[in-house]
Amino acid sequence: MISKSRLREVKKSLDPLIAFQYIFSYFYLILFLLLPIATIIRQAFLYNGAFSLHWFQKVFSDPDFFSLSPRGGMFFELHGDTMYIWGIDHGYILNSLIVAATVTISASIIGVIAALIIARYDFPGKNVFRILILIPMLATPFVNAYVIGKFFQPRGGLLNFIFYDVLHILPWRIDVNGLAGIALAQTLAFYPIVYLNVLASLMTMDPTMEEQAESLGAGGFKLFRTITLPLSMPGLAAGATIVFIFSLEDLGAPIGFIGYSGNPLARRVMSVYVFDDFAAAVTGAISPITSAIAVILVTFAVTGFLAIKKYVTLKTYATLSKGGRWKPRTRKLGFKGMALVYPFFILLILSASIPQIGVVILALTDWAISGLAPKSITFEYISRLFTDPNVVRAISNSLLYSGAAVLLAVILGSCSTYVIARSKLPGTDALDSLLTMPIAVPGIVVAVGYFLFFTGFFRGTILDPLVDPALLLIFAYSVRRLPFTARSVFAGLQGVHESLEEVATTLGATRFKSFFDIVIPLIAANVIGGGILTFVYSMSEVSTSVTLGALREDRGPITFYISQVIYGTAAVGTVSVAAALCLLLITVQVIALAVSNYILKQRVAFLGI
Amino acid sequence: MVKVSLRNITKRFGKVVAADHITLDIQDGEFFTFLGPSGCGKTTTLRLIAGLEVPDEGRVYFDDVDVTDWPSYRRGVGMVFQNYALWPHMTVFDNVAYGLKIRKVPQSEIKSKVKEVLELVRLEGLENRYPHQLSGGQQQRVALARALVVEPKLLLLDEPLSNLDAKLRIEMREELKELQKRLGITTIYVTHDQEEAMVLSDRIAIMNNGRVEQVGTPQEVYRRPSNLFVATFIGRTSVLEGVVTAIGDFVEVKISDIKVKGVAINEVSVGDKVYVVLRPHDFSTRKEEEEVNIFEGVVEWMAFTGGLLEARIGISGGKILVTLDDEVPASMGKKLRVFVPWRNVIILKA
Repeated sequence: MISKSRLREVKKSLDPLIAFQYIFSYFYLILFLLLPIATIIRQAFLYNGAFSLHWFQKVFSDPDFFSLSPRGGMFFELHGDTMYIWGIDHGYILNSLIVAATVTISASIIGVIAALIIARYDFPGKNVFRILILIPMLATPFVNAYVIGKFFQPRGGLLNFIFYDVLHILPWRIDVNGLAGIALAQTLAFYPIVYLNVLASLMTMDPTMEEQAESLGAGGFKLFRTITLPLSMPGLAAGATIVFIFSLEDLGAPIGFIGYSGNPLARRVMSVYVFDDFAAAVTGAISPITSAIAVILVTFAVTGFLAIKKYVTLKTYATLSKGGRWKPRTRKLGFKGMALVYPFFILLILSASIPQIGVVILALTDWAISGLAPKSITFEYISRLFTDPNVVRAISNSLLYSGAAVLLAVILGSCSTYVIARSKLPGTDALDSLLTMPIAVPGIVVAVGYFLFFTGFFRGTILDPLVDPALLLIFAYSVRRLPFTARSVFAGLQGVHESLEEVATTLGATRFKSFFDIVIPLIAANVIGGGILTFVYSMSEVSTSVTLGALREDRGPITFYISQVIYGTAAVGTVSVAAALCLLLITVQVIALAVSNYILKQRVAFLGI
Repeated sequence: MVKVSLRNITKRFGKVVAADHITLDIQDGEFFTFLGPSGCGKTTTLRLIAGLEVPDEGRVYFDDVDVTDWPSYRRGVGMVFQNYALWPHMTVFDNVAYGLKIRKVPQSEIKSKVKEVLELVRLEGLENRYPHQLSGGQQQRVALARALVVEPKLLLLDEPLSNLDAKLRIEMREELKELQKRLGITTIYVTHDQEEAMVLSDRIAIMNNGRVEQVGTPQEVYRRPSNLFVATFIGRTSVLEGVVTAIGDFVEVKISDIKVKGVAINEVSVGDKVYVVLRPHDFSTRKEEEEVNIFEGVVEWMAFTGGLLEARIGISGGKILVTLDDEVPASMGKKLRVFVPWRNVIILKA
């Protein structure tokens, strides 16, 4: 009886529009997300044609991958007049975990403090800080770590020069590099993710929650620990986990340090291992050990993701992000408070903006070859963006891929979220999970999966990355930030009351007609916001661009070109061209931010968090 | 116009039964209301008739044609939603014209029809406004015009007045009634406001927990409620428990030491436990001929409500609420004697 009525329900839901959207969404996500990952898992667990843990045993018994005892490295070791802060090597797997954990904790502490101050206090200049604090989110792939390396270089590095050679404040020169360098660069790059998520939680928190607690006698730290922090947990958990996953999959910081100093410890993380092996893939194969490492990476990321899944699926996100009708509680900051807050923000923003400042200087001056400080301004590198055929090709590749990815992401995002929001078909919850899943899949894993799956099953076709990686890059871009794109569209759908469509159907409109007459015009801003988000993201995407993109040099996008330069395959001086490309990416991002903010009135769109 | 028949309609949402084997007929041209507390299933029933929900069991007929499996867009109903569901990206004109455009009515005819219907709901001149530029009452009328312009066989109204302020609600109520009579369109109305239901409806279905408790004219459901739920939901009541002592033209019930005569709605026999339902307005201080239906007790609470006196009197069998002329001499803590005519006393089997 129940199943019969369920069947009727399904039959009613399955009008042509929903049926198409449902099938398209599943088809796309299965083909471009699930199957590639399944192929990695298959290879990792296959030995001599049978299921086996062989590759995992091999990995975990090899101290190169996993070693509880230290295998060298320098952590606060003084040699001569230089303090070396490089980190200790525990093998690829533990190194990645230690770096990710360190970054997560330090980014969380910075993010929470910054969010609390911004959300709860008023002080002159607050709005300036609010904007400046987001500077690290501006994309400077690879160059960021290069710049940090340049700052911290023991001899000739600006920081050591100022504080050791000139001011004599430091007792020794400081050399931050290797794993510690990666952790530092990532912390400075990722803390805004925690900051933004916690800030959102704090701003949407009903002020009476805290007022009630205060009226009962809770104040100060007690109030924070018992009310404020627990209530901002969704934001903190989501932000921290995203940072953890981003750190695990990050290629930009390690490659930046490798490129700048060739530091061996900067190589010792899982993402770089996979990247290096991928470089050998041009010959046509990826080793099962790499697949095993990819599976381990995904396992860590998915574990983190499952811990916060209840906060990040579309449906829960929608309920979390509601509210905000009230004015959040703010207090005027006293003199003592300001004496603490200003130095905190100024120090934070200055150090976190080093990469972006460095990028600007590198792109517009001769700093790359002038040594300590830049000597003259030049527009040579900027002009190379329009004249150097390799650079022009990289830019036009990126524009083409990103444009196509936007189109696909927007269609996929609208279709899948509409099915989730409106139909009662079985499998919509699974679709919601599937849409959110790309958060937990490191880009490098996507690349390996695409390589294995599409060279394996589509060999010699246009989908074979060895033939042409362009299409796969487009698909990878469209899938990788789908959770955020979909969220933007879903938020729009939440604002379109179902009765608006129902009344159209009572007037004779089919679902198809009401979707295009009513729904699409009403969610247009969100769809465009989601599209902008995908575009910005695709332009600066790193992981798949520098792996799949490397399979055919003439198909490489911007970030691939930058990585080539930083990794050392291009001639000296061209790091400035890489910086000029970063400046281009930053410009795209800032324009997107402006459009989202002032035209579409959507604050979150460009950040994608 | 159309006659609507529901046969055994059932709809569950998980464990909640929103419509529980509903069977009833709504006549051609009738103003029919589903009345009940929130969550009773009245809106679900309306949505089942509109084709916005599919029943788990049962059939829906329009003029004896089975429309159960027809999608909403084929049913030709006009519907007004509680929130009006006006499309914010369209002007008043475009909102109203939408159904005509779907029906591929020629442009010139659309213009004249929209003009006509906007005059009908007294909104002429507002064609180019957007919904957010209208008052609540105007929005409500646009929603109504949009439903009416396609000349539906059936008009469905889901609490259309509940978002308006009290004064406007009463005005719109009268307009709506007048419009419905003029057009003669079969209308199904959903509300939780019993006064609204009474004023508007030819017949009312009272719903509770997905079931239809009673269908009848406003008088019937007020004067002859078929069970305690209907009796207490419609109008204000005092309910006392007693035992039947005699049956004749009327039924005689003993409540504690008081003898009460009244009209039994269901079959009762001597010795049965029954509920005695009393309406505050039926009481007076005028003495009846017989020594029955007299209640005497101490005034426990009283209040003046403009021309009337409301009082709660503690009697031996419980408490009763009475509404009396405010010139009646009564005061807190003092005894008061009240009477109620036996024809107004409702007796329900417990």
